[in-house]
Amino acid sequence: MSRRFVRKGDVLRVTLSEPERELLRELPEQLRGLYSSDDPDDAVTARLFPRAYLDPTEEAAEREWESLVRPEMLREKLAALELVVAALDAAAPGRRGRLVADLNEDDVAAFLGVLNDARLALGTTIGVTDDLDLSLLDPSDPESAAYAAYGWLTYLQGELVETLLGKMPG
Amino acid sequence: MTGAPVEAPVESPLQLPVDLPLAEGEPDLEEFDVTDRPWIVIVWNDPVNLMSYVVFVLQKLFGYSREKATRLMLQVHQEGKAAVAEGAREKAEADVARLHGHGLWATLEHPS
Repeated sequence: MSRRFVRKGDVLRVTLSEPERELLRELPEQLRGLYSSDDPDDAVTARLFPRAYLDPTEEAAEREWESLVRPEMLREKLAALELVVAALDAAAPGRRGRLVADLNEDDVAAFLGVLNDARLALGTTIGVTDDLDLSLLDPSDPESAAYAAYGWLTYLQGELVETLLGKMPG
Repeated sequence: MTGAPVEAPVESPLQLPVDLPLAEGEPDLEEFDVTDRPWIVIVWNDPVNLMSYVVFVLQKLFGYSREKATRLMLQVHQEGKAAVAEGAREKAEADVARLHGHGLWATLEHPS
């Protein structure tokens, strides 16, 4: 059985079809746009960069925390985009017409973050709820491409997390 | 998280301190952080995050066992939120930042 993510010594090898690599390759640019949005009412930005304090009397602490944390968080997210771009662009032909990319530890963390952010952004936009059933997808629905992308990214992140959990203490 | 439907989390109303006029000679308490009570870090449920991913993040960031991380994740999933850590304000703020950096929605508050 071929698995998406296979350990090869110190790297994790991911196998992708060309269309899958293309889909993933579009994510960094889309996320870069979202990360730099300064629209205070943007629901996606609010979800990617949420508040720390819900207590309105802690507004000063909230502002101080945001001023310290947000720039660093943005730097890290942007760095992750670069790693994902590099890894996808370096993907080499593998077996049966697929592509393989070898990910080191930093690449893996970057992929995980990008997959999760992409799903958060997509999920917020298409209104994902806990009881979303992707098997009820109607291909004639104009939103169906977004749902399909969300579904596949969910599957891919799930595979990656299972692989990583397998290596952590139980 | 992806899974069964979850009710929206309920916010407990906060008891806000009332500003009282200071009698002459009393120390200005606003100089000190009189709220030296510990802070707790809450992780909130959201429909996008995978249950397995929440477990992974809790293990990675806090070194929890699979069992503890799973228990906390299930509490988030079923009750809408769970307290995953506690400590002084600075530590709790750092924990929230790390959780946000991993895409989990977290906040800090005093235990009610």
